[in-house]
Amino acid sequence: MDKQEIIEKLRSIVKPYSNNQNAFDNLTESTDFISDLQINSANLVDVILDIEEEFDIVIDNQSMERMLDVQSAIEIIELKLSEK
Amino acid sequence: MIGNDIVDLALAQKDSNWRRHGFLDKIFTEKEQLLILKSEYPETMVWNLWSRKEASYKIYNRQTQKRGYFPLQLECFTVDIINDFYYGNVIINEQIYFTKTEITSQYINTIAVLKVSDFDSIQFLKSNTAIQKDNGLPFYRDPKNAVLKPVSISHHGRFEQIVCI
Repeated sequence: MDKQEIIEKLRSIVKPYSNNQNAFDNLTESTDFISDLQINSANLVDVILDIEEEFDIVIDNQSMERMLDVQSAIEIIELKLSEK
Repeated sequence: MIGNDIVDLALAQKDSNWRRHGFLDKIFTEKEQLLILKSEYPETMVWNLWSRKEASYKIYNRQTQKRGYFPLQLECFTVDIINDFYYGNVIINEQIYFTKTEITSQYINTIAVLKVSDFDSIQFLKSNTAIQKDNGLPFYRDPKNAVLKPVSISHHGRFEQIVCI
């Protein structure tokens, strides 16, 4: 799966939790889930669970710690996919 | 230093499904999950514990400049329940925070501090208070002595709270 595909999947995952339409429309690798998309921190766990389901991976606690922006999410997803 | 968190219970109910598979495991320790599952009002306990973790994280983030998503590492302990107030501790690594949590039918609100006596000197600021940010963290300039004080802001649904010491 290439990076663009991952970003597209991430885009549809974060959509229902995003509270900033402008930041969502302009989503890039540097987009921050909390400060840019204004995802409620209690919903960040839903983003993580949705990622696990969508990519069929398990995100351990250490990875979850840095799951705050699109770039880290991509790195973690790529790593977990490569370990499958 | 101070940290606060407010949860609008109606919005939380709409936005979060805490019964979702995996949800509790990612956020709460085994002991905390037991507290939730044994509680007469499990949903209230979910947001009670969550708001304590969030309020404490705000101080931790300020102290360490460490930003991250590690709710499991912030473990809640309840010390006393007086009327509708839960007094407790949140512990992360060697650091201990003191929390005071108010439970109402509409919201749950936690204030976290570094020492118990700080609970007596909490100031509640109006929503239009001029807040300045330094390195992403909010401060308020006290008009009496021009001292910059760290503030904590929480906004969720119908509720907003700004506090400082």
